[in-house]
Amino acid sequence: MKPLLAICILLFTVFLCAFTSKKETHVIVIEFKHKVGEKLLKLSEENYINAWGEPFVVNKFRYYVSRLTLIDDNSDQIELKGAYHLVDEADSTTKIITLTSSLPNITAVQFVIGIDSVKNVSGVQTGDLDPMKGMFWTWNTGYVFAKLEGTSDSSHALAHYFTYDVGGFRSKESALRKIVLPTKHSNTLSLHHLTINVDINKWFQSKHDIRIRQSPVCHQPGELAMQLADNYSTMFSVGDIN
Amino acid sequence: MKLYGTILILLLFITIGSWVSTPFKPTPLAFVVPKGWPQPVYDFKHNPLTKEGFELGRTLFYDGRLSKDGNYPCASCHQQFGAFATYDHNLSHGVNNLLTTRNAPSLQNLAWQKEFMFDGGINHLDVQFLAPLTAENEMGETIENVVAKLKKDTAYKRLFKAAFGDETINTQRIGRALSQFMVMLVSSNSKYDKVMRGEDKFILPEQLGYDMFKKKCAVCHTEPLFTDYSYRNIGMPMEEGLNDLGRMKITRDRNDSLKFRVPSLRNVSITAPYGHDGRFFSLYNVFEHYRNKMVVIPQTDSLLQHKMPLSNFEIGQLTAFLRTLTDTSFLKNPMFAPPGYEITPVFIHNH
Repeated sequence: MKPLLAICILLFTVFLCAFTSKKETHVIVIEFKHKVGEKLLKLSEENYINAWGEPFVVNKFRYYVSRLTLIDDNSDQIELKGAYHLVDEADSTTKIITLTSSLPNITAVQFVIGIDSVKNVSGVQTGDLDPMKGMFWTWNTGYVFAKLEGTSDSSHALAHYFTYDVGGFRSKESALRKIVLPTKHSNTLSLHHLTINVDINKWFQSKHDIRIRQSPVCHQPGELAMQLADNYSTMFSVGDIN
Repeated sequence: MKLYGTILILLLFITIGSWVSTPFKPTPLAFVVPKGWPQPVYDFKHNPLTKEGFELGRTLFYDGRLSKDGNYPCASCHQQFGAFATYDHNLSHGVNNLLTTRNAPSLQNLAWQKEFMFDGGINHLDVQFLAPLTAENEMGETIENVVAKLKKDTAYKRLFKAAFGDETINTQRIGRALSQFMVMLVSSNSKYDKVMRGEDKFILPEQLGYDMFKKKCAVCHTEPLFTDYSYRNIGMPMEEGLNDLGRMKITRDRNDSLKFRVPSLRNVSITAPYGHDGRFFSLYNVFEHYRNKMVVIPQTDSLLQHKMPLSNFEIGQLTAFLRTLTDTSFLKNPMFAPPGYEITPVFIHNH
């Protein structure tokens, strides 16, 4: 029996090794940099002016990045499986996502702003999807995909608040937006740190014209939410690549 | 080779066995589907019922710490002796002397229900509790505060460990435990049920009422759950001040204006007042609405475009039948009383 046992242990070890052996991988850091035009975003402090000349202060800025995917020149993809990442301006650690990649030549980064429908209909989730994170409508079940809240003298809402809470997972009111950002011809060796610039001005002027004066509040899925989603889907652009 | 294979598998088992030091073995709790009922829609696979999970849910359901000032547990508006509706109240009461805009619905047979609230805005039982918990005019609390309060209590650490395998307390576990308690609130043992099972017999007015019920009411209040869970406009004009558009608030579709979920009629005799805003104080008020007071608008249900003719005689027989839907074994089931009680004490009714 003894030699048999030894052989078995050996086999088992080989088996384990086969499973744990790695392809060559390296770490890529993706950093979101929040700006209003050219200025860096400062919460609750600075007064900005949008394309319509409306002054505004931002108190909250959050959005869900999901299905973050790296694509290489062979159209191979690496998806951060099951990962839903809440980016929150108030917490700098959330603005950095670290990925491990084995792709040789990354040409694009792709992600979705929002939470796919299955997670909206299957009860309470954990982690970044915990309703405790304040990105969840309790009275009409569903995630808030992105949130831009602040004050503006142009707002006729109570206390001059403007509150854009955008969501909607049902097909007719879908606020899910896919973002594809080409990273030029960077290859693995040079792509370690990718900055994605995020321009809040796009919320007000991009595919649609949205004025705080006219629409200071969005608190439910629907047309305004979809228009805001169209607009903010253009707020991302590739910045520095190191 | 067979021997090698066997040994390999044995080795694997030993390795796995050594990783798992203390096995987590909660006691399964059986969910019994009453005879002749449809299959429940609640997904028990993602949240297997256990005695420990149920007991944790029951403890949470009766714990005032889920509210801002400590006085408004779930049970303050959902009282067992009122079939888990609020006994004798039209609009529910919340913290700071605030009123809500709706009448608390009874909680029963929830495992068969897909959507919640009178407008169906909530799509899963596990997330339902978040609405009253965070509403300023209900429990007025935040999830963070509730989790923090529970974490301070070592008894809860034990209860969560027993129910879920470790001491983690989070939103998901609170929701699942509450669901385990709530899906067990099955009412299926009224006189009506006994008659259907051949264990009892209707007296004449009950039988006449039942025959009438099947003709006039059962299309929407479908047996055996006594609701088809649809949203309908029954000609209740909007109450000024409450401005409750019902289903339209959720779908933003004008066709859904003033539509509300068809409520179950189980235990209906003890769940007065009636209607989404509790505007009907007695069953007679409801019948009077259907035969006289309805305000028919284009969105009003096609079955009620000409209101519903009802004679005094018919109202009497229908009332006799509806009384057979009272299930005292449910209203007094010690399993559903606050932890440590055999029967829900009257002091729970303090608002």
